[in-house]
Amino acid sequence: MIETFECGDTGALVAYLYEEGEPEIREVIAGHLTRCAACSSEIDGLRLTRQSLQAWVPPMPELTLQMPVPTPARMPWWRAPLPAWAQAAAAVLIFGVGLSVGLVRGDVNAPPQEPSPQPVATTTIDTPSRSDLSRLEQRLRTEMAQMRTTAAPPVRQASSDDDMMKKVEALVAQSEERQRREFTLRSVEMAREFEAQRRIDMATVRDTVGQFQGVAGTEIRQQREAIDRINNFIRVSQQAR
Amino acid sequence: MTRTDEELVARSRTGDVDSFNQLVVRWERPIYALAYRVLGREEDARDVCQDTFLRAYRALPGFKGQAKFSSWLYRIALNLCRDWIRRQQRAPVSQMPEDMDPAALLAETEPAESIEDLVARRELSAIVAEAMRSLSEEQRTAIILKEYHGMTFQEIADMQGCPLSTVKTRLYQGLSQLRRQLERRGQGVAELVKRT
Repeated sequence: MIETFECGDTGALVAYLYEEGEPEIREVIAGHLTRCAACSSEIDGLRLTRQSLQAWVPPMPELTLQMPVPTPARMPWWRAPLPAWAQAAAAVLIFGVGLSVGLVRGDVNAPPQEPSPQPVATTTIDTPSRSDLSRLEQRLRTEMAQMRTTAAPPVRQASSDDDMMKKVEALVAQSEERQRREFTLRSVEMAREFEAQRRIDMATVRDTVGQFQGVAGTEIRQQREAIDRINNFIRVSQQAR
Repeated sequence: MTRTDEELVARSRTGDVDSFNQLVVRWERPIYALAYRVLGREEDARDVCQDTFLRAYRALPGFKGQAKFSSWLYRIALNLCRDWIRRQQRAPVSQMPEDMDPAALLAETEPAESIEDLVARRELSAIVAEAMRSLSEEQRTAIILKEYHGMTFQEIADMQGCPLSTVKTRLYQGLSQLRRQLERRGQGVAELVKRT
């Protein structure tokens, strides 16, 4: 296929400028540019414009965008683990209840009493046997041991909570310090840019004032020349009379 | 190991926030630069940048990968910029902390670039920014996407929803107008271009 290029085809020139399009047509355009001064000048001008565009650099602040990590759904209160103090209180309460039951039922260490003349059925109801008390004692000891083992970790948890809190506070303090520092650095950068902009503005103002003075000077000179011409005209008229 | 955008998007869609944050880190600067050049204000650009990622995060389940992730992000950002231009909101200016010493920090952060070069760069940057403002929104956006984000004509056409030939026309007319504006400034611009 023979690629053609028509002089002044701006679309093809833009594609050539950005090095897009088919290589064949680009070769054709390159050949055309060696012969056509108008197209060649156009391309040079656009290239210089592109070069100027590279000077436009946006100020790049420290961007720290982060998506928040979704927090897990809160458990219902009745399923949430109890705090350490509540577990300890529950342990004390259970111990107290067990102790009360034991005291109400009688002295466990008292010597066995002589069989009373009361009916056997009544005795079995009111006074528990030694084996019953032993079982109760054993059960209470077991429960207390379990409570001790379950109540102990929360104490360690509390101390690890304190450590965690200290770490979080330290991290927050570091973060605040870093933010303050970044903010100040940015402010300083802005101050520098402001100074640079001020110099540019001053230069622009000087140019403008210079132009204005030039224009004003020209006008004054023209007015003086006009006045001189009028004076000459009046002088010549008076002399003619 | 660096994951591709597509891999990170797939992970993000399953609820992996870290993967999405990796995409944010990768694309926040180009999106911010796009917003800044379109809007011309740092605060507005930062807000648009943040909104872009928030919207993208929320809309991620609907993103089926029919376009590149970056193109999708650019499109969201450009839509937000268009809305922002319509609203023309202004953000309050914050103040310097009292216990910071700007002079000490200035000495600490003194750049290698001389003040003259900085002035030259800033001056040319201001001239270009001003010249860009004289273009229509379509021309300006086409030039920004082409010059600063390296998009192809076809990608810009997809982004702007117009034929490819229209993109070329917008680029040519925009560049020609910029050229006239810069030439009107005379020899000074050529010297600044050399200096920068």
